[in-house]
Amino acid sequence: MGCAGRRAAFLGDDAGARRLNIPVTSLRLDGVDGTQWSSGADEARAQLTAALTAVGRGDRAALRQVYDMTAAKLFGICLRICGERASAEDVLQTVYIKVWERAGQFDAARASPITWLATIARNGAIDWRRSVAGRMVRDTLPEQAAFAVADDSPLADQSLVVAEEGEQLHRCMGELEDRTRLCIRAAFFDGSTYAELAERENVPLGTMKSWIRRGLLRLKDCLGDG
Amino acid sequence: MDDHLTPAEERDALAAELALGLLEGQARADALRLSLSDPEFAAQVAAWEAKLAPLHDEWTDAQPGAAVWSGIERQLADAPADKVTAIETRLRRWRAGALLSGAVAAALAFVLITQPVPTPKPAAPQLAVARIESDAAGPLVLARYNQSNGLMQLRIHGFEPGTLAPELWVIPEGGTPVSLGQIGHAGEAEMTMPPPHRLLMTEGATLAITMEPVSKTPHPAPSSVAVASGKIITI
Repeated sequence: MGCAGRRAAFLGDDAGARRLNIPVTSLRLDGVDGTQWSSGADEARAQLTAALTAVGRGDRAALRQVYDMTAAKLFGICLRICGERASAEDVLQTVYIKVWERAGQFDAARASPITWLATIARNGAIDWRRSVAGRMVRDTLPEQAAFAVADDSPLADQSLVVAEEGEQLHRCMGELEDRTRLCIRAAFFDGSTYAELAERENVPLGTMKSWIRRGLLRLKDCLGDG
Repeated sequence: MDDHLTPAEERDALAAELALGLLEGQARADALRLSLSDPEFAAQVAAWEAKLAPLHDEWTDAQPGAAVWSGIERQLADAPADKVTAIETRLRRWRAGALLSGAVAAALAFVLITQPVPTPKPAAPQLAVARIESDAAGPLVLARYNQSNGLMQLRIHGFEPGTLAPELWVIPEGGTPVSLGQIGHAGEAEMTMPPPHRLLMTEGATLAITMEPVSKTPHPAPSSVAVASGKIITI
């Protein structure tokens, strides 16, 4: 089965995660459910920004607040990329220690807080996956265990809640060839390497590199066109 | 295989590959090294992370076990709450451990990585130097390293005191950056390099400095671009 056969696995449907993640929107989500985010994405983002800024000043209570607001999201990232809970929990722990150490560098003018956090989590999980320990652990996992954590629900109302830059990326991704798009998504969501993608698609490594590199450069052109 | 790409496109594709995490092994090590030594490339990597950021909307949440937070608390409990006090406390500990020598200690905040120590090959008595500098008139650190006894001496100029501390990295040729710990903003500093790190101090390796949040332990990887760098030259 190739990248294209896994489309469903790349899609998440957790409304809470998406709401938390919305960079800029005036969309109100009142009444969707009873979570603390129901007052709206702007407010959630403002709360998280304030908490993260306080962490940057060395406020430990604020770190707990950031953890409560984001642990499910960041653990979802670690679990998906690591492929099993114990390692994902180890990675998550190091992610929040990094957040504690780096929060002073967070610049709310340049990045949304959840994007900043998600990038740290994803990079941490990829570091683990590329490490000797990560490779050994993953060798012991059943084939495709990573996909066991994936969600096969369709992404129903993504376009309603995603901000403008998200829509643009999705439009530009949509302009790529299916196989290229799905392999880029597999790299992003599963942390796959070129070698793993080439094996899955049963093509030479050079072919896979060529697909993805050309796809990424086309993506850049499209995003640049605005 | 990528014969249609111009050198500029090659470079940008490499930045995208690093941001996406497609690389492994030596290729990944090389790209990480480049992102440390070349601010322009580092900015390209960050730009790709930003381009792809909307995809972060799509992760599926999962609940971690309660042990994760207790683990975080345990690690934080080891560090004093106030980050400024933290460094002073650490300096006191290091002094107590006779890790640092003399009056220069106050200028220095080296943290050493503890790890299994391979037996280093006995090196011929040799001196290595590096001029760690930026292109512009910015920070300058002169490093002098005695390979016979592992003594590294620094003369540090031109860092603005602030919330971030200069962290020194050694980057072996073709390898990933290894933190040598955080250094002071100005003055002189010295430390005896632990044996595993001595093996990295070879001709052609790069010393680089990034500005990092104050930390009680060396960071596993730089989080920002190098503000100064220079090659090690043995004499």
